[in-house]
Amino acid sequence: MDVSGFFNTFLGNYITQVFVHSLITALIVDGSITAWKVENPESRLHMRLMVIILPVLLHPLYQMMNPDRGSVWFRLDALFDTHRWLYMDLWEGFGGWAVFLLFVLFTSFVFLFQELIPVLRHSFVSREAAIVGEPPQEGSPVFLALNGLPKDKADVLVVDDNDLVLFSSTGSRPAIIVSTGLAEFLTTDELRAAIAHEMGHISASKRPMLVALFLLRVFQFYNPVALMEFRRIVQEEEKICDDYAVSVTNDPGALKDALLKFIGPPDDAADMGLKERLVEYSHRALIESRIWRLENWSGNAERGNRAAFVFAAVAALVINYFVV
Amino acid sequence: MLHSYSPRLQLSSSIILWYDCIVVNAVRTKILNFIIFGASMIAVVAGLKAMNWVPSALQEGLLRRYSSIEEVKERLKLSRIYAPAYYPQCLKWPPVTIAAQKRPYTAVVMEFVQKEMTDVCLVISQTELGRRPPEEKIVLSTVRQSVRYRLKGRDMLLEVGSCKDNAQCSRISWEEDGYRIVVSSRSTPVDLVRIAESMIPPAD
Repeated sequence: MDVSGFFNTFLGNYITQVFVHSLITALIVDGSITAWKVENPESRLHMRLMVIILPVLLHPLYQMMNPDRGSVWFRLDALFDTHRWLYMDLWEGFGGWAVFLLFVLFTSFVFLFQELIPVLRHSFVSREAAIVGEPPQEGSPVFLALNGLPKDKADVLVVDDNDLVLFSSTGSRPAIIVSTGLAEFLTTDELRAAIAHEMGHISASKRPMLVALFLLRVFQFYNPVALMEFRRIVQEEEKICDDYAVSVTNDPGALKDALLKFIGPPDDAADMGLKERLVEYSHRALIESRIWRLENWSGNAERGNRAAFVFAAVAALVINYFVV
Repeated sequence: MLHSYSPRLQLSSSIILWYDCIVVNAVRTKILNFIIFGASMIAVVAGLKAMNWVPSALQEGLLRRYSSIEEVKERLKLSRIYAPAYYPQCLKWPPVTIAAQKRPYTAVVMEFVQKEMTDVCLVISQTELGRRPPEEKIVLSTVRQSVRYRLKGRDMLLEVGSCKDNAQCSRISWEEDGYRIVVSSRSTPVDLVRIAESMIPPAD
C-alpha cells in the first residue's frame, strides 16, 4: 500500500495545504497586528478569525479559479511547493510525508482527548445537572457588589459552596453563578469587577459564532495551528470582557486585584505531572498578561483598524495562492 | 518697534500648528506602519522561497527544471530518456522546457515550441508506469477519434480531437520499458506518428 501517494490526491493536498495556509496566515496576521499596532482585543480577535476560517476555504476556491494550480508547471514556479518537503527521502522508504503523517496523527490524538471528549462530556454533564442557586440576599456581599452594575444583563445566583466559584451561562436565560466562598474571599469592589467581567461574556455572547468557530476547529482536528489560534481567540475574548468590566466599574485596579487573588502563588510544581504543569503554566500566563494590561491601563484601545484587517486578508489571499 | 499679531494671523498659525502636529503625524505614522507591514510580508515571502529551495539543495531528484536532456541523465542517473530523433522543421530544438523528478516517482516532461513563436506545440512526457502523468499544457478536451494499433511491437493508442481553444490536437501513448510515454501536439496525427516512431528504440 503506497501511503505516500495519498498526498497526491485531492484530500491529501487539501489537508497539507490547510495546515500550511493556516501557518502562513497566522504569520501574516501576527505581522499585521504588530505593524499596525492593533491593541484593541476585539479588532485582534477579528483578525485572528482569519487563521481559522480562511484556510478551510482557500484550496477549493483557488482550484475553482485555476484548475491547473496543482500541475507540475505551477509547482515549479510556486513560492512554496509542499511536495518538495513531503517527498524528501529521510530514511529507507520513508519521506517527509511520514513525519507529517505522524504529526497530523499526534495532533488529532491530542485534540480528541484534550478538547473534544472533555467538551462533549462537559456539555452532557451540564445538561443533566441543574444549577441550584438563589438570588443574593439584601445586604449580602454579592448584593452590595451588584450596586452600579446593569441589572438586566443576567440573573445573579449565589450557591452555598466554600470553593471559589464564578461562571456565567449564556443562552435563553443567562445567569452568573457566584459561590459564598468567593463572596467572602474578594472585597466588594473586586467582586463587582469579577461579576462585571462575567456580564461581559453574556453581553458579548457570540454563541452562534463561537459554535461555528468550534465546528470549524473540529473540522481541522489535525491542524495544530488552528488549535493554538483558537486558544488565542479565547484569550482575546477574555480581554474584551475585561474591557467591558472596566467600562462598567471604572476601576481597572479592582479587577486586577481580583485576578491577583485568583492566581495566588504558584503551585508547587514538584507535586504535579508534566501535563498539569503545562496547564498551570498556560493558565497563569494568560492571567498574568491580563493583570499586566490592567496595571498599564490607559483607556480602551481604539477599535476598527480596518486597514490592518484588509491588508492582512489581501496578503493572505495572494501569498497563499502561490503556496501549493 | 513691537509687532502685534492680528487675531486672524494667530488663528491661522494655530490651525497650521494643529495640522502639522496631528494630521501630518497621523499620516507619517500610517506610512511607517505600512512600511513595517510591507517589510514583514517581504520577510514571509523570502522565508517561503528559502524553505522551498532547501529540499532541492539537500537532495537530488525533486521536481525542477533542467537545461538539457544530458543534464537530466547525469543528475538523476536515468539510463534512458525518450527523445525524438525526428521532428518537423518548424519545431525548435532543443526543448524550451525540460522538467524532471525522481521523487516520488520518475517523470520527465519536455515542451517544444515552433520557431519564431512562443506557444507550446509539442509535449512529451515519460512517467513511471502506474503513476499519474504530469498535467500537460496540451490537453485534448474533445476526442473525436481513438485508434489502437501496433507499431514496432508496441501497443499504441492514437487519439485525435481538439484542445480547449478548438485547435486540432492529437495524442499518442504507449508503454516502454517501465514507463508510459505520452506525446501530445497541436497538429495532425501524421507528424505525431512519425515523431513517436523515431522515439522507439531499435530492437536489440
